[in-house]
Amino acid sequence: MDILPQLLINALISGSIYAIASAGLSLSYGLQRILNFAQGHFMMVGAYAFYAARILHQGSLPESGVVALLVMLLLGLASLYIFVLPFSSFSPLLPFVTTLALGAMLEASVSMLFGVNVQSISRGLEFESIEFGGVFITPIQIVIIVSALSLLSLLGLLVHCTSFGRRIRALSEHRYAAASLGTSYTGTTIIVFCLGTVLSGYAGILVGLETNIQPTMGASYTIKAFAAMTLGGLGNLWGTVLGSYLLGLIENLSIGLDFGGYSLPAGYKDAFAFVIILGVLLIKPEGLFRRVGRRV
Amino acid sequence: MSIEKEAAAFLEVKHLAFSIRGAPILNGISFAVKAGETVGIIGPNGSGKTTLFNCLSGFNRVPTGVLFFRGEDIGPLGPSQRALKGVGRVFQNPGIFREMTLLENMITALEGRQPLLSTFFPWSSTHAANRTEALRYLGEVGLEGKANQKASSLSGGQMRLLEITRTLAFGADLFLLDEPTAGVSPKMKEEVAHLVQQLRTLGKTVLVIEHDIQFIQRFCDRILVLDVGQVVMDGDPKSVRENPRLQEIYFGGQTGAAGRAN
Amino acid sequence: MFEAPLGFFVGFYEVLRSEYALHLCVLLGIYLILAQSFNLVFGVGGLFNLAHVATYAIGAYTTALLSTELNVGVFQCLLASALLSGLLALIIGAISLRLATDYFAIGSLAFSAVVSALLINWRSLTRGVLGIPGIPRPEWGGIDFNGVQNFLYFVIVVTLLCLGAMWILFRSSFARSLKAAAQSDVAAQSLGRDVARLRIWAFFISSAFAGIAGGLFAYYLNYIDPSSFSLTEMVLVLTIVVVGRPGSFWGVAAATLLLVVLLPEGLRFLPLEPSVLGPLRQFLHALLLFIVVYMNRARLFPVERMV
Repeated sequence: MDILPQLLINALISGSIYAIASAGLSLSYGLQRILNFAQGHFMMVGAYAFYAARILHQGSLPESGVVALLVMLLLGLASLYIFVLPFSSFSPLLPFVTTLALGAMLEASVSMLFGVNVQSISRGLEFESIEFGGVFITPIQIVIIVSALSLLSLLGLLVHCTSFGRRIRALSEHRYAAASLGTSYTGTTIIVFCLGTVLSGYAGILVGLETNIQPTMGASYTIKAFAAMTLGGLGNLWGTVLGSYLLGLIENLSIGLDFGGYSLPAGYKDAFAFVIILGVLLIKPEGLFRRVGRRV
Repeated sequence: MSIEKEAAAFLEVKHLAFSIRGAPILNGISFAVKAGETVGIIGPNGSGKTTLFNCLSGFNRVPTGVLFFRGEDIGPLGPSQRALKGVGRVFQNPGIFREMTLLENMITALEGRQPLLSTFFPWSSTHAANRTEALRYLGEVGLEGKANQKASSLSGGQMRLLEITRTLAFGADLFLLDEPTAGVSPKMKEEVAHLVQQLRTLGKTVLVIEHDIQFIQRFCDRILVLDVGQVVMDGDPKSVRENPRLQEIYFGGQTGAAGRAN
Repeated sequence: MFEAPLGFFVGFYEVLRSEYALHLCVLLGIYLILAQSFNLVFGVGGLFNLAHVATYAIGAYTTALLSTELNVGVFQCLLASALLSGLLALIIGAISLRLATDYFAIGSLAFSAVVSALLINWRSLTRGVLGIPGIPRPEWGGIDFNGVQNFLYFVIVVTLLCLGAMWILFRSSFARSLKAAAQSDVAAQSLGRDVARLRIWAFFISSAFAGIAGGLFAYYLNYIDPSSFSLTEMVLVLTIVVVGRPGSFWGVAAATLLLVVLLPEGLRFLPLEPSVLGPLRQFLHALLLFIVVYMNRARLFPVERMV
């Protein structure tokens, strides 16, 4: 039981990554029921853009960050205009398939450009872990947690305290009514989607700095983001955030704890996200956290 | 025993009640229909007509009340089982199979009551017989020329004809027609009326939901008026039409969903 | 040598007379079974089963384990693969009955990922990422199936049997009922169809065939590991069926030929690094999927109207 604090910290770290990556996805879903199957792949692209700028072109940290940001913005716009919007008046299952294709194309392109091998992007940023109270944490992991808290707070401010946020909430709740009132529905969708794209790119960079990058890293993060959204209720932003941390908790506790002498091999960690999705969908498809005044 | 069965109603509904998420839609509906009768069902929007049909055909499960069809309690049966017993349903949003050809629509209906093994293989004689039979049914409604076209290419009225004919080919004995002339051109309305007359001639029992009273009074033996989930009038077309209460229900007044909606 | 005049594949071989062409034919046979079985459940049945490749994987692992650990003969292995894959599909089917189409897509994907995770982590059974090596070629009638040519004959026989059965299925009354249910659940029920039972059968049958394809795959490569059964593979199968037109038997057959043989082989003639070919193929498959979906966007996945 004395590894529990470490497990909790790890849960906080994982949860933070998932929260940053899936926050945008949740908002986009609430607005236009966009199930972006390439969300995890967006993370991967963000990480590789950062890699290209910083490692391949010797850019500084801020420069690389800006490059990654711009790449993510472009990616968001292109994805929306090519893979999502043309299908909005047809079956909602279509963007599902097209974003699947998008994810595969991104993975393939990155493989062709950078090769399929694992790369490191943290050159020059390797720091020792810090210890306090028996728990080990690296500076980048601290950055992850702090980023999540600050970004989510900012997002919260945006959604609840600005007029733009009001518009998002109005459009999410009354999709058909609001659109006919003339509010710029597409405009809002674009901004929210690109915000989500940039956030997931940032999450990708963080993951890359914490571990490493690989073109195939995207797929499992997509599923994790979906798991977080399913747990929290599709389209429910704060539910998704809570779901992300809950997912992190479940993953880490499941492999760390002893169940009467038997503990799960670490490899099963990922499987938990999937089992959760299935379980929640089957038992309580509207998510565990009741929508605070939200209707799909 | 047969005498008792004949005297018993073909369809018997007693105290049918149904709610959606706590909001009551049907508030205790009771009526009986004799074999071969054609009954019109009218009432303002929200009075529960389609819900009634959904309860009858089994898509709304476990409503409160009793449903007897040919003397048998069909309450515990699901939609497909009730269909096999002879309950036919024609939907408000045409329930034809749009991506299939008219011929395939009809064959699918014909196969519904045939044993699987006899129809399974594409070369079976039953299948060949079904094709001929299907064309014959299509011919009866003037659609045999479009037999190999996709059902989605039909006009609204033609879709209704197809769906009613399909239900006939399936072998239903009770027809639940949900607004068969909604969105249908006047000429096609005549065709639909003609088809319903044919159903009568064949001895089928028909329940028709309609808004057009003029339309259904031609062939209905009886008219039920629904309001706020209850049967408020039950009589022959003439007396129902002339009843002043009908005006109230449809066009506002003290009672009636239409009146309260404002 | 074992002589057998068998149409297409043998003709192909006669023309090209190379081991490589035989290899392509084997792959084609396996993928034809896999794609048509998905065509049945997704194209005809309208069931967005993204766990189809998981059942393919189970088939492969069943054959692999039975033949290496227990020396089970070829027909029993393939039968076992079919049955186990079918059984797994029953679970998927049960899930599908509880979820609407878009949720089922996510759910089946999650299920597929669980199976993947089990294959990777249940090392005592599957040897995890190390995979199962040394899968022996089938033994039958004293024939040596170690060479590509003889093995190809074996694959041809199995493929023709499976495709023949599926061809009949596609034109059967079962398929009509499935298609009807896919287009209007409620209308099919009002024509006496037990939609739930139909769909469970569709899952079972399609996955059983996928299991057989998996068994063939295991026998052919003599080695399997979890990486052959990833999401990428599922996207490939989905692409084949979408490109070939969901529900069309010959369309999907042609698309299989295009995407498994013609396209990848055509790419070989380009002056590119070998390491780029794999991702390029993945890219082109996805691109093709997107283009076909875009062109057919009005027609695909029609939303069912409610009663």
